[in-house]
Amino acid sequence: MNTKKWKSIGTVLGETNISEFYFSLKNYKAKKGDIITTESKIPSSEGNVVPVTVWGKISSIESSNAFFPTEAAQELTNENIDIRDTILPTTRDELICKVIILGFTLKDNLKLMPLNYPVRPAATVSYPSSEDVEALLISDLDSEHPLFIGSLLARDAVKIKIDADNLVSRHVSIFGMSGSGKTVMVRRIMDELLQKKYPMVVLDIHGDYLGFIQKQKKLYPNNQVKLFYPNLSVSSDDKEIIYTLIDKLGNSLTDPQKDFLSSLLEKVKYEGGSLLKYIELLVRKAREYASDSSKSFKNIRPASMYVVVRSLGQVAKKLKNMEQTNFRHRQKMSKLKFEELPDAATEPEKIVNKGQLSILYLKGYENLPASAIVSILLENLFKHRQEVEEEIPPFLTIIEEAHNFIPSRSEDKDNLPSVDTIRKVITEGRKFGTGVMIISQRPSRLDETIASQCNSQIVFRMVNQKDQRATTRDSETLSVDDSKQLPNLANGQGIISGQVVNFSLPVQIKFDAELINDDIGNENFITAVENWDDKESVKQRKKFAKDFSNITSIDKRRAN
Amino acid sequence: MRNEIDIKNKIKANSSLFTNFVKNAVNASPKVQNNFLDVSAQVALTVQKILEDADLITNLEYKGKDFWSENKCKTACFIDGGVDKTSIISSAPLSIRTGSYIVKPDAADKNREFFEESMVFLGDLYDPKNELYDFAEDDFDEDQMLNKKKDGARIIFEAVTIVKHILLNRKFDYCFLHGPIEATVMPFTVMGFPTFTKFAVENMLPFYNKNKLNAEARHFINVYLEALNSIKKSKFPTYGIVETSNSAPYIKNLLYSYKSKGTISEKDFKNTLSTIKKYKITDSHLLEIILQSGQAIKPLEVKKQIKGFSVTSGSAWEDKMDSFPSVHIGYIKVNDHSAPIRIESLNQSKNLIKDYEYILATARLLPNYGFPVGLNVVDKFAKIPNWMSKASRKYYATHLLKQAIRSKDQNTISLAVKILSKKVRSWRNRPLGGLAR
Repeated sequence: MNTKKWKSIGTVLGETNISEFYFSLKNYKAKKGDIITTESKIPSSEGNVVPVTVWGKISSIESSNAFFPTEAAQELTNENIDIRDTILPTTRDELICKVIILGFTLKDNLKLMPLNYPVRPAATVSYPSSEDVEALLISDLDSEHPLFIGSLLARDAVKIKIDADNLVSRHVSIFGMSGSGKTVMVRRIMDELLQKKYPMVVLDIHGDYLGFIQKQKKLYPNNQVKLFYPNLSVSSDDKEIIYTLIDKLGNSLTDPQKDFLSSLLEKVKYEGGSLLKYIELLVRKAREYASDSSKSFKNIRPASMYVVVRSLGQVAKKLKNMEQTNFRHRQKMSKLKFEELPDAATEPEKIVNKGQLSILYLKGYENLPASAIVSILLENLFKHRQEVEEEIPPFLTIIEEAHNFIPSRSEDKDNLPSVDTIRKVITEGRKFGTGVMIISQRPSRLDETIASQCNSQIVFRMVNQKDQRATTRDSETLSVDDSKQLPNLANGQGIISGQVVNFSLPVQIKFDAELINDDIGNENFITAVENWDDKESVKQRKKFAKDFSNITSIDKRRAN
Repeated sequence: MRNEIDIKNKIKANSSLFTNFVKNAVNASPKVQNNFLDVSAQVALTVQKILEDADLITNLEYKGKDFWSENKCKTACFIDGGVDKTSIISSAPLSIRTGSYIVKPDAADKNREFFEESMVFLGDLYDPKNELYDFAEDDFDEDQMLNKKKDGARIIFEAVTIVKHILLNRKFDYCFLHGPIEATVMPFTVMGFPTFTKFAVENMLPFYNKNKLNAEARHFINVYLEALNSIKKSKFPTYGIVETSNSAPYIKNLLYSYKSKGTISEKDFKNTLSTIKKYKITDSHLLEIILQSGQAIKPLEVKKQIKGFSVTSGSAWEDKMDSFPSVHIGYIKVNDHSAPIRIESLNQSKNLIKDYEYILATARLLPNYGFPVGLNVVDKFAKIPNWMSKASRKYYATHLLKQAIRSKDQNTISLAVKILSKKVRSWRNRPLGGLAR
C-alpha cells in the first residue's frame, strides 16, 4: 500500500472519539459512502506509540454557506437574478463530513482492528486508491469462499465480495421495496453459489427465478436446475398440518365438529401420499360414520358429522382449484419442464443434491396451503440433515415473499405451519447446514424472532418508516445513518451489513441481465394493451352479445 | 405634496418610531407624550418642505436583473471589524481583526471573490509589552478606559484597512465600510488615553512621519487623522454605511444652512433644535417618514468633530478638531419597512446617483433587512465567533490556575480559584424572594 499516493481531501475537525469523527472536505473530493483514511497514533501494549492508518466510511455530508442569507434567495427568485451576476458569495460552501470509524491497520498488514484511541484532530484526511480499498476489503473479509456481488456504491472500481460461508450458515435477510433490486441480488448470489455447486431450494411465488432453467445449458452446464410444482404429499406424521389446513380452509366448525374431525384423523390411517386423496378418503369414512353414528362416535350427532363432510368437500374443492391455477400458469410456460415435487420424506436427494438448484413454483397457491407445502418440505429436509446418515448435503433455502410464510404475530397469522418449521430451521441451521435466505418487501410484517436470527442484512430502497424501523431493529450492524440513506437508494443499490462483510457497505449490485425469465416479460402492460387483439372466443361472444342483450330487454318489457 | 394627516399615519405605522415613542412614554412627562405625535409630524412636514425646496430628494432606479447584469463587471470591497468580547478579571485580552470581502461577480470562479483578514491583533492590554498601546497607568475608571482602548483599536484598524487597500493600489470600483467613514474622536481626547506603540503605528501606516514618531504623533487623534487624509485621497469611491442613525446631523446641518442663508430666523433655528433634542428625534426617524422606498437624500457636508464640545473644551486636542475632514452625509431608503441607511463619504461623489443606485442594489439583495449584503457577509466573516472567545477564556483561566499552583502558596491558589469561580453580578442572578420559583 503506497499511502503517499493517496490524495489529501480534508482535515479532521475539533473533537474526536474512537467511533466517529468529523472532517472538513474539499469541494467535490469525496461522496457519501466513500472509504477514507487518516494517519494517527495509538499507544501499544508495550508502552510505545505506534503509527496507524485509521479507516472510516463517510456516513453523511452537510454543506452550508453561512455567508448566503436566506432572504437574498428570495430576492434572486422574485427578480429572476442570476446569483453569479451579484456580489453574493458563491464559493464559500463548507462541507462537513461525518465519518464512522471502521478500525485501524498497521503498516503492511491490512487486517482491520478496532480503534481504541481517538484520531488526531487537525490530521489530514486522505482518499485511498481503489486498489488499496479493495485490498483492505478482501484482506479484512478473510474469506475462504468470497462471492462477487457488485461494486462499492461510491466507487465503481472497488469490487465488493461477501463471505459465502457466513451467508449459507448464518442466514441472511434481503429487504427492499418492490423493484428496488432484491431479486437482482438473489440471482447474483445464486449464480455465485451455483458456480460453487452449493445446493439451493428456492420457494418461488412469482416465477422470478425461472431464468435459471432457461439458461441452464448455456450458463450452468455443470449444474442441475430442477423446476418443481407442488404436490401436497402428506404422511401420518403430518396430522397437525392436515388438521390446520382443513380447519382454516373449510367451513368454521363448532367444538363437537372439531372433535369429530380430530378423531377422524386419528382413526383413518394413511400410508402417505397425495393430500387430496387422503381428504377424499376422509370424506368417505366420515359419511360411513355418519350413517352408522351410534357405533363409533357415541357423543357426536350425525348432523355434526355431515357438517364435517361438507367442510372436507370444501377443502378438497379449494385445493383442486389451486392446483388447477398453478397448472394453468405452468402451461403458459410450455417450454419449461416442470416436475412434480418429490416426496421430501422418502426421496430428499431428488430435491437437494450437490450442484442442484431446485425451484418450487408456488404461483396460484393461497397462503395457507403454500405454507403447509413449505412446512412439510422443510421439515423433512431438515430431518434428513439432522440424521447421522446425512442423506443430503448442506443446502440453502431461499424464501421469496417471506411475509407469506413467516408473518409477524401482529398479523394474526402465526398459526401458519411454516412459521414454526422455519423458526426451527433458522435457529438450528448453523449446526446442520440448513441456511435460510429470507426476502421481503415488508420487513415489519415478518416474524421478529426469525428476522433477528439473520446475521446479515442486505437492504435496498425502503420508504415506509415502519419497515425501516423493523430493518434496524432486526440488525445489529445497520447504523441509523445507514437507515436514513434507505429511501434515497436507486434501483440495484443496497447496503450490506452483518457477518458476510466486516462493516456495512453501500453497494451497487451487478445486474445479471441473462438471468431474467423471458416468459414473464418486463411488465410492460401499456405495450401489451397497444398490441392487444381479442381471442377468437371473445370475438364470438361479442358478436352475439347484442342479440342476447336485446332478447333480455324485450323479455323485461313483456313482464311489465 | 402630502398633507399632515399622511405624515401622522406614517408615524403610527412606523416601527422604529414606535419604539422611540414607547421609550418616551416611559420617560417623558405626560405633556410631552401628548405632544409627541403632533411635534414629530410638524417637524417632518417642515423638513420635507425644506428638502423639496433645496431639491435634495432624489429617486433611485432599481431593476434587479438588468442592474446586476450591467454591473457584474464592477469590483467591490466590503470592510468590517470584529472584536472579541472576552472579559476576565486580572487581564485585558483583546482579539481584533478586520476583514475584507472583495468580489468581482463576472470573474472566473477562483478570482471571483476573496475573503481577506486584513488586520489582526491578539494580545493583552495589561501586558506592558503588548504591541498595540503604550503602557500607561490609567487615571480613569478602568473599565471605561479599557472600552475606549478597544473602540479606538477597532476604529483605527478599520480605517487602516482602507488605507492598506489604497497602498496596495487595489483596483476597486467601490469600497464600503460597515460604520461611519469618520468616527467622532471626542472620546479619545481624554487625558491619559494611551498612545499607540511605535511598532503598531509603523505597521499600520508605514509611510507616516517616518523620522519622528514621538508620543504626540502616535496618539489616536493624529494617527486616525493621517488615515482619514489618506482615505480622502483614494482613487476609488469609499463610503461608510451606517444601519441606523441615533443622532440628527443631517437635519441639524440642513436647518443650519437655511439659517445661514437667512431663510430661517435664529430664534426658529434654536427652538427647533431644542425640540428635536427634547423629543429625541433623529435623522432616521424623520427621513423614514419623509422618504419613500427607493428614494435618497443627496448628501450634505457636515463637520463631525466640532470644536468647543463640552468634553473636548480645554483639551490639548481642541485645535486639532478643525483639521479633520468634513463628511458628506446622505440617506437611502431601501424598502418600506426599515429605516433609511446613512451613507458617508469624505469626498463629494462624481457619480452620486450611480453610486447610490449601486448601494441600493446591494441592499435590495437583503429585501427585508435592507442593508448592503456585502457588509452583512463581511460582518459574519470578521466577527470573532463565540467558540473562539470561549476557548480563549478557557486558556486564560487555565494559565492563571497553573501559575497559582506553581507558586505552591495555598493563599495564592485559593485566590485564583476564587477569581475563576467568581460570579458576575447580573440581574439574572438576583436572588428570588418569597414564593417565586
